[in-house]
Amino acid sequence: MARMKFICDTERCIECNGCVTACKNDNEVPWGITRRRVVTVNDGIVGKEKSISVACMHCSDAPCMAVCPVDCFYRTDEGVVLHDKDICIGCGYCSFACPFGAPQFLSKGAFGVRSKMDKCTFCSGGPEANGSVAEFEKYGRNRLAEGKLPLCAEMCSTKALIGGDGDVISSIYAKRVSVREANGRYPSNDIFGWSTAYGPAGSPAPAPTPAAKIPGAKS
Amino acid sequence: MKLNFKVLAIALAAGTLLSACSEPPEVAAYAAKRPDVAPYMGADNGFMTKGWKPGDQASWTEAINKRNQGQSEYSRAK
Repeated sequence: MARMKFICDTERCIECNGCVTACKNDNEVPWGITRRRVVTVNDGIVGKEKSISVACMHCSDAPCMAVCPVDCFYRTDEGVVLHDKDICIGCGYCSFACPFGAPQFLSKGAFGVRSKMDKCTFCSGGPEANGSVAEFEKYGRNRLAEGKLPLCAEMCSTKALIGGDGDVISSIYAKRVSVREANGRYPSNDIFGWSTAYGPAGSPAPAPTPAAKIPGAKS
Repeated sequence: MKLNFKVLAIALAAGTLLSACSEPPEVAAYAAKRPDVAPYMGADNGFMTKGWKPGDQASWTEAINKRNQGQSEYSRAK
């Protein structure tokens, strides 16, 4: 079974924001929410400026899932972390827990009322019927069910952002690193967010927290 | 008789007013998780790609992995 992941190659990202625009357009993401964004660090420092496209990393041990008080998250067999907006109460815990700032809320109206949480779905919709209008209106496109990959990755002009089966995209990235090495360039081969989201290389998947160690949890 | 009507009116008014103090039952099942359909089952719209059979997980995985290679110039240039 495929395990869907994203990789952003900082050596290739040119901060064009094409991925951001494609995501917003294809999923008809409302104003005020940006499921994907490009972050630039060391701005203006020649040789050190790097841009990174960031969205939900679909973590192996997702902190958003761990803190959700109404348990609205679920992980598909493809490793995609999704949520049910009919269960979400818009409390915002997930946005505090996420190290990537993926969960977002529309904040409009009196008293700073928050909407249901919205985040990247790896273009795989939600619990509604695949490709249905109801699914599109709540979560956006379900490209995986159409036999496609997330549009942000597929339309990236420099192929800095690649998404798909973790083993396949890792091999694509490994090939790039080996070619760079052969060409006498050895930039860092660390992938942004990889160890944060999936653990250090070679480490086993984290064991679930025992219920006895969670205050108030049912054993 | 007149007193009975008065008592009846008060009882009706009290019943109407106090009904607002009741609370509808809150059932957790209303917010129960729903099962999601796997992507290899396909989408019911006109945007499906060709080359795989909806419902066949192996063909979907193969199609996705093949499409994945479209993100690698080294594969496309072969």
